[in-house]
Amino acid sequence: MDLLAQILINGILLGGLYAVMALGLALVWGVLNIVNLAHGAFIMLGAYVSWHLYTYAHIDPFLGLPITAVVMFILGYALQRGLLNLVVRAPMFNTLLITFGLEVVLTYLAQLAFSADFRTINPSYAGNSIQFGAIVLPLARLMAFGVAIVLTVAMWLFLLHTRLGRAIRATAQNLVAARLYGVEPRHLYAVTFGIGIGLAGAAGGLYGTVSQINPYIGATLTAKSFAIAIIGGLDNPLGVIVGGLFLGIVESLTALYIGPTFADVASFGVLVLVLIVRPSGLLGKTA
Amino acid sequence: MKALQIPAVVIALIVLAAVPWFGSDVLVQFGINALLLGVLAQGWNIIGGYTGYASFGNSVFYGLGSYGVGIAMVQWELPFAVGLAFGVVLSVAFAILLGIPVLRLKGHYFAIATLALAQVMTAIVSNVKLAGQNIGLVLPPLNNDLLFYELALGLLVVATLTIYWLSRSRFGFGLIAIRENEEGAAVMGVNTTLYKVLAFALSGVFSALAGGIHAYWVTFIDPESAFDISLNVKMIIMAVFGGPGTVFGPIIGALSLSAVSEFLSSEITSIAGLFFGVVVVAAVVLMPRGLADMLRRFRTTGWRYFAENIKATRL
Repeated sequence: MDLLAQILINGILLGGLYAVMALGLALVWGVLNIVNLAHGAFIMLGAYVSWHLYTYAHIDPFLGLPITAVVMFILGYALQRGLLNLVVRAPMFNTLLITFGLEVVLTYLAQLAFSADFRTINPSYAGNSIQFGAIVLPLARLMAFGVAIVLTVAMWLFLLHTRLGRAIRATAQNLVAARLYGVEPRHLYAVTFGIGIGLAGAAGGLYGTVSQINPYIGATLTAKSFAIAIIGGLDNPLGVIVGGLFLGIVESLTALYIGPTFADVASFGVLVLVLIVRPSGLLGKTA
Repeated sequence: MKALQIPAVVIALIVLAAVPWFGSDVLVQFGINALLLGVLAQGWNIIGGYTGYASFGNSVFYGLGSYGVGIAMVQWELPFAVGLAFGVVLSVAFAILLGIPVLRLKGHYFAIATLALAQVMTAIVSNVKLAGQNIGLVLPPLNNDLLFYELALGLLVVATLTIYWLSRSRFGFGLIAIRENEEGAAVMGVNTTLYKVLAFALSGVFSALAGGIHAYWVTFIDPESAFDISLNVKMIIMAVFGGPGTVFGPIIGALSLSAVSEFLSSEITSIAGLFFGVVVVAAVVLMPRGLADMLRRFRTTGWRYFAENIKATRL
């Protein structure tokens, strides 16, 4: 029973991190109608930014998250403004392809710049944990979970209550009408993509504190983020928390009862099942 | 096909078939790889180019074909041809069993579902005893590059003839109708589910045969390389760069990109991988309808061709 409780706790802690990974993907998809296949590669880049900040400037990975997010925001803004805005009105397949190409480019550049070695961000408190009876809460994972939940809720409040957030939601609903109300679409698309990539970067920084990073982690993380966005639906950022927790728990249980190599099989199996049964997401409105 | 094109194709074919007799070993080995990639690009062309379903999981068929040959030859000691047939059977079974649910999905959803399937297969095969688990299988060596080259060329010819048939048959028109407007096609009496599954299976047959030939040629397969996801990248890029939904586009894309990539990797190794990514990004922005369309229209529009493509899709 203790083992099961521990596994569930691990799954929940992992799930919080998954939620923030999927948050940026869901935002870009919902507003720009671009499924960003390079999303995982941006998470990977964010992890490397955090790793460099920690290794060379000795900035704590959690305190350094805002820097990582800003760096990634700038990259995202520039990419959308300079490149992706050129193809946003193209058929869906073209935007899939171009982000797929970006994934290849980013992965190779990362491999050239950072080498293929595994890296970890290991602050001095990485090994610490909090004990509740028989259940152990690793400190780094707990902090990553907390930051992830705060970020997701902050994103939700931002979209609901700020001027920019309302402009983003208006654009998602109706680009022409939003334009009539004074939204500058090229800038707004770039800002939205930038926020999505900034969130991916922050997720990468958190990922680096709980797991190993190398240039090839991107593709799997893209697919997982997609699975979470599908389960949670695109309507509401809080949906990704549900999706993330669900996936985290499924993976942890699978690793325990079937075997660790099957954890990914389970998450993609869930993805395919959800797609087939309810393509609009478990929580989303029906199309 | 225009009158001039037939002799041109025949001459090109004779030259290609004669390569092993005058070319070096390195050229023949490059040729085998390039021709097999051509087959993969043509296979993808059936489901992605003609039917409009962007499969990011065709590497699964390639892997099943590789393992069909591997299991038949190593575990059951059957001849190569039986292994190829076994791989094809596996692929068709996969295309039917998973194609029926997955092909109900549209657009992004189909693309990601197939991508997820491709990632799942590596993990599953790594745990199958018959397939040698993580370690893989070592096939009996056959040192005969000439045979493999001609097999690969023959397969590419068959794949291209199939696509040529698609481009002018009732079945092919049905697929194009699905690509252009699926509901419209259904209203016109196209059995869309049947057509899509058949296209997926046909695409799988060619990919599986390519995988089987490649497995026997390299004499070693393991889950990582047989179900290599980056193979999807290559086949899609080659088909799209050459011209998806055309008869010869994917071949032109496969041969030209293979040649450039081979040249780059011999000159500057680290740039070669980057190359495919840059090509696809540039191609989507500048020539989304592929090389075939560009060559046709460049004569009349000149450099404006690229500007017009950007203007058509930018915000």
